[in-house]
Amino acid sequence: MSAPRKIDCQAAADRLYEYLDGELTPDAYDEVRAHLEDCALCFKVFGFENTYLAFLRARTRAQKAPEHLKKRIFEHILFDQDSAESQ
Amino acid sequence: MAAASDDRRTAFETEALPHLDAVYRLALRLSGDEAQADDLVQETMLKAYRSWHQYKSGTNVRAWLLTILRHTFINEYRKAKRAGPTVDIGEIEGYYVFHEVQEVDPEGEFFKQIVDDEVLRAIDSLPDEFRETLVLSDVEQLTYAEIAEVTGVPVGTVKSRLFRARQALQQRLYDYALEMGYIKGVKR
Repeated sequence: MSAPRKIDCQAAADRLYEYLDGELTPDAYDEVRAHLEDCALCFKVFGFENTYLAFLRARTRAQKAPEHLKKRIFEHILFDQDSAESQ
Repeated sequence: MAAASDDRRTAFETEALPHLDAVYRLALRLSGDEAQADDLVQETMLKAYRSWHQYKSGTNVRAWLLTILRHTFINEYRKAKRAGPTVDIGEIEGYYVFHEVQEVDPEGEFFKQIVDDEVLRAIDSLPDEFRETLVLSDVEQLTYAEIAEVTGVPVGTVKSRLFRARQALQQRLYDYALEMGYIKGVKR
């Protein structure tokens, strides 16, 4: 258990989305987290971007496939002759 | 024969159909048209059903369905070019919006006032490859590796597209918020 390697603001900014998306290795994650504990400005930038991503998720997932489309797909699959023959 | 076909139907219904909303959302964002999205989804699901034997159980069925959807769209639908203005993504300056708002709204409260339709409209104004990358990530929550697989590009390309798409979209939403008076511009 050694302390994370020190990184600067640019290195932290380069990994911003990978950090927020959970795409970093544990070591790289720890380096960014340690930087955020030391740097108030980066901490604010990361918080702002995190709010933005949560906002995007909240605003874009409400659309659902319409009922008529679900029905059409069920019927097509149920009576799909092509695939019945190919089995 | 009938039993094997029933097994497949059951497997398809329990594993693939729950992702219909995700397939529909991507179809809408790719085509920009509800009627075309319907056709695209129907064709995608039928293709997936017919080639169900190629799907490896336990792998990500959603990514597999979205890959089929994207191929179908590019091969059969893309010819009809989308209308509407496209954002210039060539000159994106990283973290521009934060620098603009850090004194008046560092926590991004203004985002809360922007409604769904306006966000979707802004997403639709992104160039194709940036729009699809952002939708696969921020709407459908695929990992970078899954997005790379669906869109057929290296993970590094996914990362850079995602960065530019998110920053361009943020700038557009910020401009909209300024226009609507949700946030005050910084005087220079």
